[in-house]
Amino acid sequence: MSDTRLNTIIAARGLGKRVTTAAGPLDILSDIDLEINAGESVAVLGVSGSGKSTLLGLLAGLDLPSRGEVLLADEALHLLDEDGRARVRGQHVGFVFQSFQLLPSLTALENVMLPLELAGRQDARSQAVELLARVDLAARETHYPKQLSGGEQQRVALARAFAMQPAILFADEPTGNLDSATGRRIIDLLFDLNREHRTTLVLVTHDEQLAARCQRRIHLDGGHIVAAPVVSR
Amino acid sequence: MSWLARWRLALRLLVRDWRAGEQRVLAAAVVIAVAASTAVGFFTDRLSRGMVNQSADFLGADLVLESPRPIDEAWLTQASARDLKVSETLQFASMVVHDGALQLAGVKAVQPDFPLRGELRTAPALYAPDAPVDTAPEVGEAWLAPRLMQRLQVQAGDYVEVGEHRLRVTRALTFEPGQAAQAFGLSPRLLMNLADVAATGVVQPGSRLSYHYLFAGPEVAVDRYRNWLADRITPGHELVGVREGQRAIGSALERAERYLGLATLVAVVLAGVAIAMAARRYSERHFDMSAMLRCLGASQREVLGLFLPQLALVAVLASALGCVVGWAAQYGLLYLLRDLLPVAPSGTRAWPILAGFATGLVTLGGFALPPLLRLRAVSPLRVLRRDLAPLPSQAWLVYGAALIALLLLMWRYTGNWTLTLAVLAGAAAMAALLGLLGFALLAVGRLGQRQVGVAWRFGINNLWRRGWGSVAQILAFSLALLAMAVITLVRTDLLDAWRTQLPDDVPNHFAINILPEQLAAVEAFFDTHDVPRSQLYPMVRGRLTTINEQPVQRAVTKEAQSDNALNRELNLTWTMQLQEDNRIVAGRWWRTDDRGQPLVSVEAQLAERLGIGMGDELGFRVGGQAFSARVISLRTVEWDSFRPNFYMVFPPGVIDDFAITYMTSFYLDAGDKPLLAELVQRFPAVSVLEMDQLIEQVERIFRQVTLAVEYVLVFVLLAGFAVLFAALQSSLDERLYEGALLRALGGSRRQLRAGHLAEFALLGAVAGLVAAFGTELLTWLLYTQVLNLDYSIKWQVWILAPLAGAVLVGAAGFHGTRPVLQRSPMLLLREG
Repeated sequence: MSDTRLNTIIAARGLGKRVTTAAGPLDILSDIDLEINAGESVAVLGVSGSGKSTLLGLLAGLDLPSRGEVLLADEALHLLDEDGRARVRGQHVGFVFQSFQLLPSLTALENVMLPLELAGRQDARSQAVELLARVDLAARETHYPKQLSGGEQQRVALARAFAMQPAILFADEPTGNLDSATGRRIIDLLFDLNREHRTTLVLVTHDEQLAARCQRRIHLDGGHIVAAPVVSR
Repeated sequence: MSWLARWRLALRLLVRDWRAGEQRVLAAAVVIAVAASTAVGFFTDRLSRGMVNQSADFLGADLVLESPRPIDEAWLTQASARDLKVSETLQFASMVVHDGALQLAGVKAVQPDFPLRGELRTAPALYAPDAPVDTAPEVGEAWLAPRLMQRLQVQAGDYVEVGEHRLRVTRALTFEPGQAAQAFGLSPRLLMNLADVAATGVVQPGSRLSYHYLFAGPEVAVDRYRNWLADRITPGHELVGVREGQRAIGSALERAERYLGLATLVAVVLAGVAIAMAARRYSERHFDMSAMLRCLGASQREVLGLFLPQLALVAVLASALGCVVGWAAQYGLLYLLRDLLPVAPSGTRAWPILAGFATGLVTLGGFALPPLLRLRAVSPLRVLRRDLAPLPSQAWLVYGAALIALLLLMWRYTGNWTLTLAVLAGAAAMAALLGLLGFALLAVGRLGQRQVGVAWRFGINNLWRRGWGSVAQILAFSLALLAMAVITLVRTDLLDAWRTQLPDDVPNHFAINILPEQLAAVEAFFDTHDVPRSQLYPMVRGRLTTINEQPVQRAVTKEAQSDNALNRELNLTWTMQLQEDNRIVAGRWWRTDDRGQPLVSVEAQLAERLGIGMGDELGFRVGGQAFSARVISLRTVEWDSFRPNFYMVFPPGVIDDFAITYMTSFYLDAGDKPLLAELVQRFPAVSVLEMDQLIEQVERIFRQVTLAVEYVLVFVLLAGFAVLFAALQSSLDERLYEGALLRALGGSRRQLRAGHLAEFALLGAVAGLVAAFGTELLTWLLYTQVLNLDYSIKWQVWILAPLAGAVLVGAAGFHGTRPVLQRSPMLLLREG
């Protein structure tokens, strides 16, 4: 994987996002500076509308900022086109979403295989089988998302996220759609996998308890980073 | 990702999507489109080949070469080498003698295989019931037209003399292919064997003979041979194909083909609309997948590389299935109509299959590709924000692709640019106009919704809320209704026009060679027997020799040099009264003081072919005398009307002094046939031509056209329903969710059902109103610009279209929204 593991793997400088609304321009994020080291686990905290998901989208290269820049695994995202950013995502990034985002027309196993297949991996199937076994869903390989419970779906999503052994994992409210017991089990699994793969974790949540399990917490309020230990040089 | 892996993955996605029912609607639409177009393609191909064949029946062959002398043997060898059947006939006029009675007959000597197309009909005795025969006269036999038997007082079994040879009369000849082709100036027919000609001694140097060479075979071979011959023939020769063979049949065929093409086109365009809707829904349902794929690192090309092969595969498989269905549908129809359809050349030709595939691919490419291309542009951010849809496809892409697809399809179906452009321009202008009209009607409905019950309010609200989506559906439905209305109207009006041209008492006989001194007596004969007849026209036979003092052959274009009118004597006439179906298109008709002035009125099509314009000086030669006349008007003529018609009409007092005979056309019931015998007995010089056989054939062809058109109409209807269901499908997700919500909030199934009914009935009614408006516009355009029919406001459409729309769309919408009532609201909300 990446040899930047012990160094800064995500850096944002002067990051801002402005959107145009009916009432005029609105700054969703402004003046965000942050660095995240390889292997670190970071929680992004804030209430609804504080800009958490926007920040995650920008850091992961799903969207472009209005101002500032993002370096992801040594790649300057603003210099790449959409296809270039897709390549970076494919190589370095895994995702877990609140709404699981499994493809409904694929079975659990096929969902896990998908990123491997996209990368042209010959061992896609065996890798996927192994990963599903790791999240205790070996018996559910041929089930479609519809036939799985929420917790099971999120476990499939976890297996998919780790399939490419990404350097960075972005998780957006991964327990938001789950009851608390199931959510706890998912989080345990997430952190276990994170440890095993020594992945950098960026976790967006409004849940302080969950955030407490990360090494560092960043608080967002009204699009600004507040009272959080920003690492700066 | 390698292309092989991508195709493998695409294939697997397709299989899984298919299992989940994702692509079935799209595929079904393609199947309907291709099935419709192939069935119509197969059928029209068969029908038009059948009709061409039927026309070939009249000619007796697919191609006839007429020559005043025997042709080069090599030409015949060439025909045989091309697998064409060849039959030779020799025609000449000769006195036929029986028991001291003399009569000039048009003798036709034929080979045993005559005719190559169509059939001879004979009766065992004069005016006995006739039946087809599959032989020609044996050596030593003669078959005589009833008129000839009548005049010579011959019975079957008697002998007649032709030249120096005696022939036994064995049958009365009642129908003969090719007889109408040179209907005028013909003496009654005597048919004999070619092998007997030498014995008659008629063929002498200087005798006027006409050699007719008949060719028949596969269409392609005939066409090629025709081209080959065309380069070799000289002015004395004349080539007659199926289309030139019969003006009346020719123009009926042309109209029929045009009309079937138009109907097919509407069916395919409607299917295209259905495909566009299904593709749009498919695309929208795959936005999430595309976004997820982008998240996982797939490039735009890779995303398309996953979806397009699926589309291609669906296109090919559905087109193949459509071809099979179309092929089967064609056989079902052929079976149903087996007694009415003309005998088509055997075998299924491949082109309708190819054309079906092409139609499928072009329709899919034009209508499905633009919405599918949006999948490429889905932002990966959609995984975080569901509401992020890609920008709609650029308008030029959507309309450009559809426009190109339409043009291709139109060109294929009509081969006629006037029709194509009229329909296309009409469609484009109308789409905009009708869309606005639909929107306006919705707005009116919205204003009125306070006055109606909850179900109607729910329905109106639903329509209004979907705004332009509703307008799109109204457009689609109104297009279906409009197509059906236009086709029904064009069909009835065209047939009415044909029937008006062929009224019940359409002349079915021509009497020619009426001598001036018998004129009064002949008129009296018709009047005493109450026989309806046309005016009696004087007739002078003469040639057109010069145009503006230049010999005609030099004055006209190269193509016109072989024109029939230049190579034979024309029937010239004079009259003060313009014939009722003639219309002056340039210049003016005679005034009283034109009497005796050297002026002439020329038939407009002939004038165009020969490049004759107003004021030109035309030179004629009648017998040994030459004279000239100035063109003072151009006339159009209804050649289909079976009334006497003339290329050249003079004012009285110009050609009166030449040798004149008179002609007329008249109507006789089948039961009054014996009157013919009386007529020719009293006026032996008069020749009577029986046209009722030909007219019957023309009417039969029209009936076949009607059936074919009704068949095509069924496909238009099916395509309309495809649109309807595709439109329903595209809003079903939303409806399911809303229905679940409403029921969760305490709405009863009855309320939901009434709401749906109200919504779709209203949608259908509005579409019907819009369609009525569009129908007016389109029929006006078609009637005045293309079909040359009289246009009048179609009141019945304004009532029937909204009614039909409300009932059809209401019922179909009601049926299509049943899942909304049947699915558990709990399940839906959890999925949503």
